[in-house]
Amino acid sequence: MKPNSFALRTPDSLEEAIGMLQEFGDDAKPLAGGQSLVPLMNFRLAQPEVLVDLSRIPVLTGVSHEESGALRVAAMTTHRALEMDASVTTSWPMLGDALPLIGHVGIRNRGTLGGSLVHADPAAELPAVCLALDARMVLQGGTGTREVPAADFFRSYFTTAVRPEEILTHVHFPPPGQRSGQAWLEIARRHGDFALVGVAATVTLDPSGVCQDVRLVVAGGGATPVMVPDVVERASGRQPQPELWNELAEHAGAALSPADDLHATANDRRRLIRVLTRRALTIVADRLDGRGA
Amino acid sequence: MIATDRDEAALVGQSIPRNEDQRLVRGRGRYLADVVVPGCLQAVFVRSSIAHGRVRSIDTAAAVALDGVVAVLTVADLPHVPLVDGVQIDGLRRTPQSALVHDHVRYVGEPVAIVVATTTAMAEDAADLVFVDCEPLQAIADVDQAMDPDAPLLFPELGSNCVYRGARDHGDAERVFAGAAHTFTKSFTSHRSAAVPMETRGCIADFDSGSGRLEVISGTQSPHLLRRKLAVCLELGEHHIRVLVPDVGGAFGQKIPASPEEVAVALASRHLGRPVRWIEDRRENLMAAPHAKEQRITLSLAMDADGTFLALKADIVGDAGAYSFNSASALIEPYVGAGLLPGVYRIRHVAAAITAVVTNKSPIAPYRGVGWTATHSVRELLIDEAARALGMDPVALRRRNMVGTDDFPYDSATGMHYDSGSYVACLDTAKELTGYEEFRRRQAALRDEGRYVGIGFSPYVEPTGWGSEGAQQSAWSFASHDTVRVEVQPSGHVLVFCGTPSQGQGHATTLAQVVADAVGVTMDGVRVIANDTDATPVSIAGTRASRVAVITGGAASRAGATLNRRLREVAAALLEADGQDVTLSGGVASVVGSPDTSVTIQQLAAAAYFDPALRSRIPEPDLVVSQFLDPKATYSNGMIAAIVEVDVETGQVHVDDLVAVEDCGTIINPAVVDGQIRGAVAQGVGAALLERMVYSDQGQPQSTSFVDYLLPSTTEVPPIRIAHHCSPSPYTVNGVKGVGESGLIATPAAVANAVADAMGPFGVVIDELPIAGGRLADAFEVDAAVTAGGQ
Amino acid sequence: MHTISLHVNDEPVTANVQARTSVADFLRDDLGLTGTHLGCEQGACGACTVLVDGVSVRSCLVFAAQLDGARVTTVEGLEGPDGALHPLQQAFRDCSGLQCGFCTPGFLMSAAELLDAISQPDERTIRETLSGNICRCTGYQGIVEAVQTAAAACAPPRSWSHPPTPPTTHETVD
Repeated sequence: MKPNSFALRTPDSLEEAIGMLQEFGDDAKPLAGGQSLVPLMNFRLAQPEVLVDLSRIPVLTGVSHEESGALRVAAMTTHRALEMDASVTTSWPMLGDALPLIGHVGIRNRGTLGGSLVHADPAAELPAVCLALDARMVLQGGTGTREVPAADFFRSYFTTAVRPEEILTHVHFPPPGQRSGQAWLEIARRHGDFALVGVAATVTLDPSGVCQDVRLVVAGGGATPVMVPDVVERASGRQPQPELWNELAEHAGAALSPADDLHATANDRRRLIRVLTRRALTIVADRLDGRGA
Repeated sequence: MIATDRDEAALVGQSIPRNEDQRLVRGRGRYLADVVVPGCLQAVFVRSSIAHGRVRSIDTAAAVALDGVVAVLTVADLPHVPLVDGVQIDGLRRTPQSALVHDHVRYVGEPVAIVVATTTAMAEDAADLVFVDCEPLQAIADVDQAMDPDAPLLFPELGSNCVYRGARDHGDAERVFAGAAHTFTKSFTSHRSAAVPMETRGCIADFDSGSGRLEVISGTQSPHLLRRKLAVCLELGEHHIRVLVPDVGGAFGQKIPASPEEVAVALASRHLGRPVRWIEDRRENLMAAPHAKEQRITLSLAMDADGTFLALKADIVGDAGAYSFNSASALIEPYVGAGLLPGVYRIRHVAAAITAVVTNKSPIAPYRGVGWTATHSVRELLIDEAARALGMDPVALRRRNMVGTDDFPYDSATGMHYDSGSYVACLDTAKELTGYEEFRRRQAALRDEGRYVGIGFSPYVEPTGWGSEGAQQSAWSFASHDTVRVEVQPSGHVLVFCGTPSQGQGHATTLAQVVADAVGVTMDGVRVIANDTDATPVSIAGTRASRVAVITGGAASRAGATLNRRLREVAAALLEADGQDVTLSGGVASVVGSPDTSVTIQQLAAAAYFDPALRSRIPEPDLVVSQFLDPKATYSNGMIAAIVEVDVETGQVHVDDLVAVEDCGTIINPAVVDGQIRGAVAQGVGAALLERMVYSDQGQPQSTSFVDYLLPSTTEVPPIRIAHHCSPSPYTVNGVKGVGESGLIATPAAVANAVADAMGPFGVVIDELPIAGGRLADAFEVDAAVTAGGQ
Repeated sequence: MHTISLHVNDEPVTANVQARTSVADFLRDDLGLTGTHLGCEQGACGACTVLVDGVSVRSCLVFAAQLDGARVTTVEGLEGPDGALHPLQQAFRDCSGLQCGFCTPGFLMSAAELLDAISQPDERTIRETLSGNICRCTGYQGIVEAVQTAAAACAPPRSWSHPPTPPTTHETVD
């Protein structure tokens, strides 16, 4: 299980990296943490001719907090660095929930936020989390920079809006709203495995304490992370109570069309969507109440 | 029993830290891939991508032209005698297997060609360029398809895909069933799994055309068996083949058979006149290395009105994969499994129909617990179902039917002579350790809170050691005697030569303990050599079947005892004492009653080898002893108990507690025994909940990476509490019994019974292993819907 | 070919490597450090775990050419200069934390990283941290106990890395 021969380029700057992608076109592939790409290469399921290693580009690493309260994470920031950063996990508890469930420590030490998003495994945690948190992806290419909202970023299985000559440089997380709570919950066959189903839930209350906004995003429910449709409509103005969570859970289970695989049937997944949605919303409600971590 | 004087300082029975660990924890073990052989080429196999077909042509031109490629060889380049199993059972049909496919491809992953290059990466580059043109045939993916009269045949010359059909009947089960107060029946599937050692298979073959000798370095469990198979396939004398075994990273049965790949690598080395190494990669290991434990069983139990077990009837179909594999045959699962149907219970009537068929899947070979895991699991599940149906306590039901402490020796209905044991005591201990009565109260309380916990018990008896008599009692043809040679060197150090290498079991320590005690020396003066067929006595069986402690250890102990006697004679001569009055212990021989009159092992050895004066008193002071041993059958026993919690909404099973109560007679090294139990129990957790080799209906393997074949990790295996009972075998040297496999025989049923117990309110029947969590949640959902509908 | 200079177990190394050579193959084949074992080559079993700049990585999923300037610690670098076993190595032996030994180097490196970060981890933390390392022999209990034992024996944890020494070209490997 050795990869095929390839050329490795190690640019020092973003411009240089983009130049290389332009030069080599479809033959080239950016290498982030390599925790998804390299296994595929070892199986020879991916056979790039040129790898552009992004690990030596200083601007691609680091976390910054903007005055607005938003979070800006450079794409090559590792899962582990985010996981250990209390300024991230305290304000975005959904990230705090999800990050420790990505693979194992040795994977998280090397795997990156950007790598996970661009790989776009529909069962992965971070694509779903970014969608739920309304993250915006900052892409840089030969002609400049553009931002793509998470809702437009994930196109299909392992397919994103990133163009061949573009690099995902940053991910922008808007500040968590007032009276807003969030949680990630998943079920995997073993600790650290890809989730059979994962559910990201956010709830925002209005000043009177009724639901103003509820978002549900499911991993493992389709070809991309899926935002459950028609949730706000059902939740808006309702009391944040178990009856609503049950109703939304039934709705989420019915709204999605997950697939069979070795580890779970489509029916199993629908059930898990239902159960995890209810449980995730319950956790969010507890957090909004100041109960539970 | 042992002939030496046993003293307080006996090493047998102590948890001596293992000799091998000093190297291994430093990363200085030397596994196959670590061995440096100058000029060694690397081999990669081109494997079939289809399950069933006829090879039309193999185009190697592009591959051969690649830089670094030395050769791309097919069977046309490497003529040889095919591999065939050696099991002697009437009615078993042979399915000879060529090391490289001739023209009929029978499973995905079957080796078609061997690419030899200067590096593995280059060989893989070339393998990608070999084009195998096949005419596809309909793939046989399961036993029903295989037995369809219109099914295409894997071996047209046999006229059927069924390679064995037979019966093992003991007593008169039909009559007893007809008159029984209660009968219970269940259908059960033990899905295909695999041993998955952390170090994959592989070998280095180096044929010396000058001498005509072949040297093979392999992680085999049975170096003499591999030598024998290579001798047949390559038409060489066994004296011209040397098999060496490096450190081995686990095996669990998968490295017992000679692999077709090993034969092909040896052939390639002979063809090229150069050393060739093959290191299996993980994808190959999951796809093409032998699989295990696939059986479909229907089992019926007859009981009388008060809950006494009367009879068992079983219909067992084994899916052998594409070949009745060399060394253990298609019968390793269904036939062997049938022998242990009565288990620990007094059941006098047993009837088993046994069928083995070939299918287009990787061949089945031994994996820890061989055929027993499946038959044991279905029996223990059925007992719990019977108890539930009759409203009886499953533990009490087992207890009343167990072979009692006073019943030993006990002859089972299937012909096994249980030498000694502690079945009831192990049950009672497990009950106590799990706090059974208290657990039942807790279980009821938790159910009221909507939490579902359950407990499962799984008592086992395991044939271990396997001398000729044990093989006969299992109706299995198996040469399982050993010869061990023990030599005191001129320095006084002791070498133990045996043909049973370790794959992690710690033979270098445990056999040294046995020999040190028997000879009467300290352990640091003893070294075990088990890795070189040129140096060691023949052990055809090698390391398997929980036999090394009993047979190798027993022979080593006897040889050591002989040496002890001879050394005491030397000591008596040197000390001018009577031999009867001399003891030898801890490397010092002294005269009873006058401890100051002593002589060291170094002095004794020096005298034996070099002192002409001694020769006049002892004409043949031979300090080399070879000992043959073919012991009577012996059976270890115990109980696994599991407590689980099921998340009924999701079907997730969490194993909360595992208790293993075991009795393997005299224990040589408790830490090693506990390690064997914990490791096997962990594999049992995998078998119960995670591990399954899935094939598509086209015979395509789906579980060919560690993302799809799931091994239990630290978070799935809870701490395993162990308790011991000790019923020494009356028949074996030192009363030792084997211990390696029972954890994997009994744990799956313990976990599955616990799951069924937890799910009791929802009427769940476990009819397959591993358990599919989704089906548990289905049952809960159906029940919830019924309940809701009824309100 | 890529020329890299790095430190491996505190020894400076300069080497030429092909782009496709993994760190694991580089350590094993070029440097002869065969304590790092390959169990799956897909990052799932953890047997090949080494420390790169103090953190654990799957050496089958990193290319040697990416290591220029890195500090790598392998299992061979755990023991003291006098050959004394690292407390983890000693504890693995004392607690039956290994049988065949194939997965052991990976467990040792993962555990070393853990004890460097948390001197007295509880059992749950140990189990979660080591869940990416697969052992097929022991059932894990001896491994978990070994980490607990080593933690108790070496609080504060003993350091396995030493002050950097400047790289000098003393070895060239093709």
